Amino acid sequence: MNGLAKIFGFDSEDYDQWQVNWAPEDPWLIAISLGLMMPLALWFFWTSLRRVGSKPKKVFLFFLRVVAFVLLLVILLRPELEFKKSHSLKNHIAILLDNSKSLSIKTFPKEVPRIDLVRKTLESNKEYFDQLKKDFQVDTYFVSDGIEKVSSRLKDYQANRPYTDYRRVLEELNKIYENKSLQGVFLFSDGADLTQEPGEISPDILKSLTRINGPVHTLQAGSNDQFRDLALESVSAPDFGFVQQPVSLSLTVFSSELGNRNVPLVLKEGDRILVSKIIEIREDQKEYKVDLQFTPRKIGKRIYTLNLPRFAEESILTNNQKEFEVDVARDRIRILHLNGRPSWDSRYLREVLANNPRVDLLSFFILRNMGDDVVAPTSELSLIPFPSNLLFDDYLSSFDLIIFQNFKYEPFIDKKYLSNIRKYVEKGGAFLMVGGELSFHGGSYSHTPIEDILPVSFKDVETRFIDKEFRPKISGDFSNHPILRLEKELNEEVWSSLPPLHGANLGLVANKDAYVLLKNESESPILVAGEFGEGRTALLATDSVWSWGFGGAGGRYFHRFWNNVIDWLIAEPETRRLQLESDKERYREEEQVLIKFKLLKENYQPAENITGKLTLSSRSGEVIAKELKTDKLGGQVFPFIPEQSGFYEAVIEIEGLQEKIMFSVLKDNAEFEKPLVNDFVLKKIAQVSGGQYKVLDGTNDLSALQFENPEIKVKSHSRSFSLWENWWAYGLVVGFLVMDWWLRRKAGLS
Amino acid sequence: MLKLLFIFGLAFLLIADIANADFSSLTLPRITYEGGNDNARPEALRSLLAQIARRTSVEVNREPIALKLSDPNLFKYPFIYFGGDKAFEPFPESDLKILRKYLSYGGFLFIDDNSAELDSGFDQSVRKMVARLFPQMPLKNIPRDHSVFRSFYLLNTVSGRAIVKSYLEGVSLKGRTVLMYSANDLAGAWSRNKLGDWNYDILAGGYRQRQLSIRLGVNIILYALTLDYKKDMVHLPIILERLRRYQSP
Repeated sequence: MNGLAKIFGFDSEDYDQWQVNWAPEDPWLIAISLGLMMPLALWFFWTSLRRVGSKPKKVFLFFLRVVAFVLLLVILLRPELEFKKSHSLKNHIAILLDNSKSLSIKTFPKEVPRIDLVRKTLESNKEYFDQLKKDFQVDTYFVSDGIEKVSSRLKDYQANRPYTDYRRVLEELNKIYENKSLQGVFLFSDGADLTQEPGEISPDILKSLTRINGPVHTLQAGSNDQFRDLALESVSAPDFGFVQQPVSLSLTVFSSELGNRNVPLVLKEGDRILVSKIIEIREDQKEYKVDLQFTPRKIGKRIYTLNLPRFAEESILTNNQKEFEVDVARDRIRILHLNGRPSWDSRYLREVLANNPRVDLLSFFILRNMGDDVVAPTSELSLIPFPSNLLFDDYLSSFDLIIFQNFKYEPFIDKKYLSNIRKYVEKGGAFLMVGGELSFHGGSYSHTPIEDILPVSFKDVETRFIDKEFRPKISGDFSNHPILRLEKELNEEVWSSLPPLHGANLGLVANKDAYVLLKNESESPILVAGEFGEGRTALLATDSVWSWGFGGAGGRYFHRFWNNVIDWLIAEPETRRLQLESDKERYREEEQVLIKFKLLKENYQPAENITGKLTLSSRSGEVIAKELKTDKLGGQVFPFIPEQSGFYEAVIEIEGLQEKIMFSVLKDNAEFEKPLVNDFVLKKIAQVSGGQYKVLDGTNDLSALQFENPEIKVKSHSRSFSLWENWWAYGLVVGFLVMDWWLRRKAGLS
Repeated sequence: MLKLLFIFGLAFLLIADIANADFSSLTLPRITYEGGNDNARPEALRSLLAQIARRTSVEVNREPIALKLSDPNLFKYPFIYFGGDKAFEPFPESDLKILRKYLSYGGFLFIDDNSAELDSGFDQSVRKMVARLFPQMPLKNIPRDHSVFRSFYLLNTVSGRAIVKSYLEGVSLKGRTVLMYSANDLAGAWSRNKLGDWNYDILAGGYRQRQLSIRLGVNIILYALTLDYKKDMVHLPIILERLRRYQSP
């Protein structure tokens, strides 16, 4: 080395190694070429010297040519002499600390959280890890659904990540140590990776383990011994349901170490119990499949809560309750349509309803009256008894809308059932009375609950029904009312183009809070809408709108008119004067929520500069209450960042109207639903990687866990000298060739 | 002059009377046409309306009226009766266009051959008219499970003054039968005079056949007024049970 240093002129202490490097672009091609050329060249050199008589001279000349040829070849291979200095590197050890939520679960019998077992183990083995750090580069990571490098101080070690995913963790670990020497891994975890099926480990995890050089020692935090818990493990409920249609949900209840006992499972909406079931918990069984069915009664986003009782000795209590959301919609609009007698008006309305795919229609025509003589026995008639008790007692609440069309309730409906209709509307139902001689006074509805719910009162008049042609006119500025909206533009012109009507019920006096939408020429109300309790009611004081549906352009508007009436009565969202919505249905924690509302006046024009109160509340109580003023378009937007996860309710109250919506801020508590330690996965990881599996009790001695520590040399600096690109390399070649030429000349050869 | 005023006054009262007839009550207009005999059973519709009023809750305008297809008042009456016993002149295309529109917008046409003869002149004229009216939809036999056989009475047979054909024929648009044709002179069986006597004898039948004819007439009217109401699920169990037990003679 010293000799070489002198030749090349550098300090020999700067370098401790040297080597020759060859730098051809394609060494294989050159090697193959050389293999072919060398014998050919040797044969050529030898045969060209055949006229040389002296054998020693011949051999010497041959030697000269071979040396010159070899030197040429060496130049072609561009050799470089490299002097370098190297130093040793430490091997890596990775400590993986599971920081998912399940680490907060208590372990029995000492009721120590799993994470504390990890902390204690790290503390009690501090010397071991310090020693390890001297020999290795020890890196610490928090692992859960990803991997995060942390400082060696563990004050930030909290069990707060939503779930564990070993596959992702090991993949990311392999990426981090792709060009490094990772000699081993400590995995402190409870093994609760919910992506793994019980008793199985995914091939991806095994594949990742094979890429790690050293062993993975798995250190199990917590155990399933004496693990006491009652949990709603998995709840499978549909996101969508239909009002008045049963919704099925299936769930698994998990029980461990709770002995034999019966526990009630209760499904609630708010404080109202919808369904409950007794589950017989037995010592020798851990999982119980339960199917429940309930019937949503109202449309909109509904929040339901499943509850199991909480026992003091349980490891975790939060998994005894689970909330879920079902967006309840109308599958079809259920309408009960009662006709006092078959008529063109009733036929055309029935046709509209029956042909509407959104409508589930139950209609009854009174085909004969008590005094009618059918001249046939009942067995030869298609008439069926009118099931008034079923309709107005048992199933009344299942209807979205009840229509009495020219229908006199006596003798078909007992008067007591009229009170049921009143209650039904009060609770949010809808009622429509369509005119004719048997409606209003003619149907003996004076001073009955029906008069109460209708937006008119009955005045005694001599003529209750007049058969006279008239053109209905839009009352006041209600042309924008959803019921009257036949066209977006030129709506009033459309109304005036409709065929005239014939016949109107008289003696109807609109209530103060009623919306008189149409009147006849003598200012009698023809179409009146109103609200009663939570429900809506309307009346049409004529039996002749069928003429709009028969012939001409009116047909299209006839259908639209009735669909508008139905939509308004059942309070479809677009017909509500106060509309409230959030920009999304589900939010992540700390995500901004936008609450929007819009207020329309009674005539459905934007209500400007009106102050309303927006209240946001969670299950734990009111969060925000704020007064907001509507803008020019009658709307306003309120941004809000929820501090806690869970379900929230937003309520807007303005001008005596109220709307509610619900939205959820999600927090993933899946690991609490399946809280058991998964020792199978941890054992398997240790076994496949050649590591050891240990169950932590806080006092474990880990010093027996050792790792290989091979020496790793890494070049720190180097210097190279070209052995071919200099004058003496070329001089040698030329020198040998010149000597060859000179000797041949001297010997008299050409 | 006074005479003229009196006649005009009387005419006005009659027109006003028609105009004031209850708009939503059932009126049965008879269609008049050129050639043939469009009023072969002059008292039949009044008699049927009387039976409807007696037997059902339907409110009727007892006096039938006569209309031409070209009459602008046609669209006030969703049910029209077309009867006769002789061949009639083909309708002009303009009338057929009105009739096609009338039927497709919800109207109902009942055609009754009063001749009580097979392949009568009226029958041939009707078939030509229907072929022009709905070239793509020829008359078809109305099946026995059609609502017309259960809209009020449960019927297993097609009756009339004479049983020329044991079935009704019809044309349906979008699931609604818009035209029905009877070859059995149903109107002849319905028709009775103001004293209550039957105007025409039942051929090869008696009281039961006449009653069944009236029942079929009632059912046709009720079908026009309620369409497939009797096929609603709520009715089916009872109707099917009665049909199983009931055997029409």
